[in-house]
Amino acid sequence: MSRRSFLRTSAVVTAGLAALAASLKPLMEMNDFPTAERFMQKYYKELTPADMAKVLKRIENEVEKQYGIRPHVRDLKPMDGVEFVYCLNLTRCIGCRKCVHACVAENNESRNPEIQYIRVLEMTDGSLDVYKARHNYNPEMVPEKGFFYMPVQCQQCENPPCVKVCPVHATWQETDGITVIDYDWCIGCRYCEAACPYWARRFNWTKPEIPKDRINPEMSYLGNRPRRQGVMEKCHFCIQRTRAGRYPACVEVCPAGARKFGNIRDPDSEVSYILKNKRVFIQLKEELGTSPRFFYYFDV
Amino acid sequence: MIQATKNYLAFLGRCGRIACAGDWRYYAWMGALTVLCLLGLNAYCKQFAHGLIRTGMSDEVSWGVYIANFTFLVGVAAAAVMMVIPVYIYDNEELHDLVIFGELLAVAAIIMCLLFVTVDLGRPDRFWHLIPGLGQFNFPASMLSWDVIVLNGYLLLNVHICGYLLYCRYQKRMPAKWFYVPFVFIAIVWAISIHTVTAFLYVGLGGRPFWNQAIIGPRFLASAFTAGPALIILAIQVVRRVTAIASKGEAMPWQGNSSASKTVRQRAATLDDLDSLVRYLPEFASVAKETRQAILPDLRVLEVSTGEVLLRQGETDKHTFFVLKGRVVVEREESGRHRITRSAGPGEQFGEVSSLAGTPRMATAVAEEATQVLRVPADALRKLMKTPQLNRIIRARMAERLMITDRALMILRGIVQVAMTINVFLLVCEVFTEFYAGGLHIASSKYLYLGLQGHHALVPWIWTAIAFNLTAMILLVLPLSRSLKWLNVTCVLCIVGIWIEKGMGLVIPGFIPSPLGEIVEYTPSLNETLVCFGIWAFGLLCYTVFLRMSVPILQGRLSKANEGQPEFGVSGVSERAAL
Repeated sequence: MSRRSFLRTSAVVTAGLAALAASLKPLMEMNDFPTAERFMQKYYKELTPADMAKVLKRIENEVEKQYGIRPHVRDLKPMDGVEFVYCLNLTRCIGCRKCVHACVAENNESRNPEIQYIRVLEMTDGSLDVYKARHNYNPEMVPEKGFFYMPVQCQQCENPPCVKVCPVHATWQETDGITVIDYDWCIGCRYCEAACPYWARRFNWTKPEIPKDRINPEMSYLGNRPRRQGVMEKCHFCIQRTRAGRYPACVEVCPAGARKFGNIRDPDSEVSYILKNKRVFIQLKEELGTSPRFFYYFDV
Repeated sequence: MIQATKNYLAFLGRCGRIACAGDWRYYAWMGALTVLCLLGLNAYCKQFAHGLIRTGMSDEVSWGVYIANFTFLVGVAAAAVMMVIPVYIYDNEELHDLVIFGELLAVAAIIMCLLFVTVDLGRPDRFWHLIPGLGQFNFPASMLSWDVIVLNGYLLLNVHICGYLLYCRYQKRMPAKWFYVPFVFIAIVWAISIHTVTAFLYVGLGGRPFWNQAIIGPRFLASAFTAGPALIILAIQVVRRVTAIASKGEAMPWQGNSSASKTVRQRAATLDDLDSLVRYLPEFASVAKETRQAILPDLRVLEVSTGEVLLRQGETDKHTFFVLKGRVVVEREESGRHRITRSAGPGEQFGEVSSLAGTPRMATAVAEEATQVLRVPADALRKLMKTPQLNRIIRARMAERLMITDRALMILRGIVQVAMTINVFLLVCEVFTEFYAGGLHIASSKYLYLGLQGHHALVPWIWTAIAFNLTAMILLVLPLSRSLKWLNVTCVLCIVGIWIEKGMGLVIPGFIPSPLGEIVEYTPSLNETLVCFGIWAFGLLCYTVFLRMSVPILQGRLSKANEGQPEFGVSGVSERAAL
């Protein structure tokens, strides 16, 4: 190799490497680089109790480091003989969106960008056609005359399309009927978001932001622990509450008493009474065969 | 074994060196592509650090231009291999030389597909969750897990077929049929499967009426068969142009010098000449002594010096030539350009096709250095070919040439013609079903074609696509598109039209309106667009490198025989100077 061609080659190689380094520079801005421990973490269903204890401890440390508050993270399992069902009284709902905000607060949903699990539709009287619904209604006072309100959230389908399409089993249905997501397993392909007929799933398009003083420290692994950038989340019937014998936040907050929640396998539960005695129920998009565990009904 | 590995590494090394060498046009092209790749990489790094918020996607339109490009390219990859059907099933000679280009295009397209899916992931660091056995693979329920299998399988199949055929060609040995023909047939079926699986990705979603239609699968295949061959028509013309050894209209040194062949020194062939042939062509040894004796009087040995012509394109004579010493290049003039179709060294033959068929010479053969050849008349060649071993090697070498004829382009035009017509027909079927019956589920189609409630971002795009496709279809049925100029225009229209129709025109409206009836529009962000350009540039870079390596191998100019000699193009000596 001549001196000249050596100089030329090394100049080209140096320039190339410099250009490559410059292109890779934005990686330095990364604030959430996965640690080896997180990278290697096993799938939820393969974690032994000891593994899980370690993972929960790690999550508690991470949350404390990030938000300055020590949370209590549990891995609550479904209870035997329990299948949760939701009933929503469309006659009573006034469209105040209190459920939306209670849900955001309870489930540590990102405030910026805003993530909300519940979307309340303002429906024209006489029609159940969602294509005619208004999403961004904002009057002085609700309810408005001539409209009724239909909140939509995850319908916890018996035959969930989102579970079927997930390529990595990151989302599945538990025995109590709740479809959950392992936020540490999801690869963020958003196929479930495309598959969901109820637009119930949300994606973390960037790192979620929650003010430190707004963190709800009572957390569960499959429920409301803070999510990371690039994963899916959705309504899980407040798993951290309902598996501990409490009502979901949206049920508790509803000022109109429109929201009813309970165990369908218990014949004396409120939801069993409603499903036995009300004449007509609406399961959204029933024709798709998803068979939601979320029933809408009218009083009159 | 060790020797085989060494040989293979030497082969890869030479391919690598060739990929790094070229004239200024090559450097300019590769440099421009590299710059685009780096810009794309930079944009992707930003997205990786800050999340997919850097794209134009949202919870309403959760897939965008990445998945649109992916869908388009899966089609290209599938169609590129489907071209092998005419070759392997119907023994079509004209397309034979193009098969490798098709398969290499498939490889490049699949690489782009995999990149487009990867950049669309929210957590690319968790890719290992997708690896069967290591992660959790939701097979067969998830169509995406099918896609992982078929795309990677298809990549391996094509890399194996191309790599094996090229390596055999490089070594100048015959490929073992059992080692590639079964894979070719698997690849044909596989090609249909990759595209069908990709269609099912959409078709399987009951909650999206715009996608949940059986016609999407057939439409995907029809549009793929249009865009794939159209891309190949353009690509091989580029190959033809850049591998030309003289620019258009330029006369080659031997042209108009018809007396050249008269200076050839001839003498009768002896048994010693045949023995020296055996050294390079061991199969000749199996020719019976009686046969050798019988044909000997008809054989002649010709001695020529550099630049002298042995046979001339368009002439008719019935001789076949075997090179005894030196090297001969065979070049062909087409559409005013000269290209090397083959290079023959000791033991190799040329001129056998027209010799056996009695047709005019398809190319001109020129001595590249001082050369000695054995001239065999057609009758003698037929007698020789009664020896099975020799027959097999001669037949195999007949196929060893790089002939991109205009007729091959016309066969591809025929494929595009039929596919485009079917594609337009299927589109009409779909539009009729949607709009005639009406109903609620046509909201997406309305948004796409007419606009919905004052939102019409896609309307100009889809009508452009329809105009392009219709124009292309009309041009394709007119004899006008038999001229290469118009054919190229048509191909560009097809590619752009189909990219819009099946990329953006299929993926985006599926999300608009949302399942809850909300209309949120989508425009790709600048960062997202840069990533797309980066991936396209990388794909073109790969394809250019593949062609750069494979063309000289197909021409026989890069082979094991000339290992250790200075590479052409690398040494800086112009190939033309050697002539």
